[in-house]
Parts: sequence; structure tokens; C-alpha cells
Amino acid sequence: MKFNEAAVFKWVLIVGVAGASVIGLTLLTRPLVGALWGLVLVIAGSVYGIRWSRDWWRNSRNLPGGPDHPG
Amino acid sequence: MESASVPLPQGGAGHAAEAHHHGPPEANQSSRIDRQTLGILLFIISEVMLFGAFFASYFFLRVVVNPADWPPKPFELPVAVAGMNTAILVSSSFTIHYALESIRKGNKQGMKLGLVLTWLLGLTFLFIQINEYVHLGFSARTESFGTIFYSLTGLHGAHVFVGLMLLTFATIRAFRGHFDKEAEDHLGVEVPGIYWHFVDIMWIVVFATVYIL
Repeated sequence: MKFNEAAVFKWVLIVGVAGASVIGLTLLTRPLVGALWGLVLVIAGSVYGIRWSRDWWRNSRNLPGGPDHPG
Repeated sequence: MESASVPLPQGGAGHAAEAHHHGPPEANQSSRIDRQTLGILLFIISEVMLFGAFFASYFFLRVVVNPADWPPKPFELPVAVAGMNTAILVSSSFTIHYALESIRKGNKQGMKLGLVLTWLLGLTFLFIQINEYVHLGFSARTESFGTIFYSLTGLHGAHVFVGLMLLTFATIRAFRGHFDKEAEDHLGVEVPGIYWHFVDIMWIVVFATVYIL
């Protein structure tokens, strides 16, 4: 659940593979099929992203914070 | 990031903490993520929204307006050249990752090599894209297709240019010996690295959408 360069690089690989699958499917069939597959991947990625950001935000805060809450 | 410090005054042990700190007092940090990384994350989220607006325009023109020919005849997009350019940009993500992995292990030479290679690959990508623009045969005024093509690829090209600027500063700092093994000592490479990966991810989406679909 980290946000650093290594985590983003992992996403480059994931998006690269997803993009390759869209390109491959488009070239093998029709652009519409590739576009629909791309849409499925975008929706799946969005759902995962929303869940990840919710958990990340929950875990990345120190509660309570600020100078009025020492220790 | 890297903090400056002043030498301790003689016999000033009682004020050691103040003597080490230069400038205004450190701001309270209520997040476990450092502020530079949080800043680039928020910036990237805003950039995703910007690209999203351009993609919305693209799909509106492509699907809702639905012109007879896309791209309009007799124009053709150089898919092979753009594909090669995609391979170059994806490779640059591997080299910047190599640079970061190197400095995490304390290998400064590896970091410098990774940064220089990434910079060269980014410059090659930009050069090929400008060359592509010169030989396309249509302009941004050539129907809505030309406008959205140049808008999307130009927006991405502008991001590559900004990324190259960040990499230039990071490379200069690397050769001046500014970065070290600890995470807080190489944020100046980490943050441009995150931005560069984002630029790479966006290109994969732009390439698949504009050139292939």
C-alpha cells in the first residue's frame, strides 16, 4: 500500500500489458471489439483505483495529528 | 528533501537543536507520506482529469459525431513509427526505474547512467514526434480529426517536455553528488521518476486510442 516510484513502475507494466491486449485484440478483430475490451479494463482499473485510494488514505494518516495532539 | 545545516558554535551545546536547523521551524506533518510525494500524487490526479477531458472530446467526435472516415481520406497515421516511439518511451520507464533501484542500493554510477539514458530516450521520443508532425500532411485545422489529434498528442508531448526538464535538473544534481541511498536523500530523482512513469502510462493510452482503435 505504498506510493513510490517502484509502485508506479508496477502500474507501467500493468498498463503496458493491458494496452498490448487492446492493440492485439483490435488488430485481430475489429476496432469496436478492442474499444469494448479497453472499456472493460478502464472500468476494472477505476474500481480498483477507488478502493486502493480509500484504503491508502485511511492508512497514511497519523491520527490524531497536529501540535494540539502531542504523543 | 535534502536539508541544509550550519556548523555548531563552540560551547553552544544547549542550543544544539537550533544550531542544526536553518530557516523557519519545520511544519507539523500529520501524514505518513512525505509532502513531496503527496504533492506529485495530487498533481498526477489533476493531470489524469485534464487528459480525461481531452479523451472525452476525442470519443465524442469519434462516436457521437461519427464522421464517415476516421482519419479523413487521403490521410493516414504512421502507426509503425508511433509504435516504435511507444517502445522507446516504455524503455525509458525501465531506465528511470534502473536509476532509482541503483541509488536505493547506493550505486551512484548506475543512477547517473539510468538518468542519462532516460533523458536521451525521452529526447529521441520528442524528436521523432516532431518529425512525425512535419511529415503528416495535415494540420490542426484539418477537420475535427486534425484538431483532436494534435491536441491529444501535443498535450502529451508538452508533458514529455516538462518531464525532460525535470530529468535535466535531476541529472545535473546527480552529477553534482546531491543524492544518496536513504529515501529522503533521493526524492529529487524519485519525484521526476513518478512523473515520468505517468507520462509513459498516458502515452500507452494515447497510442492505443488515437493510432490503433
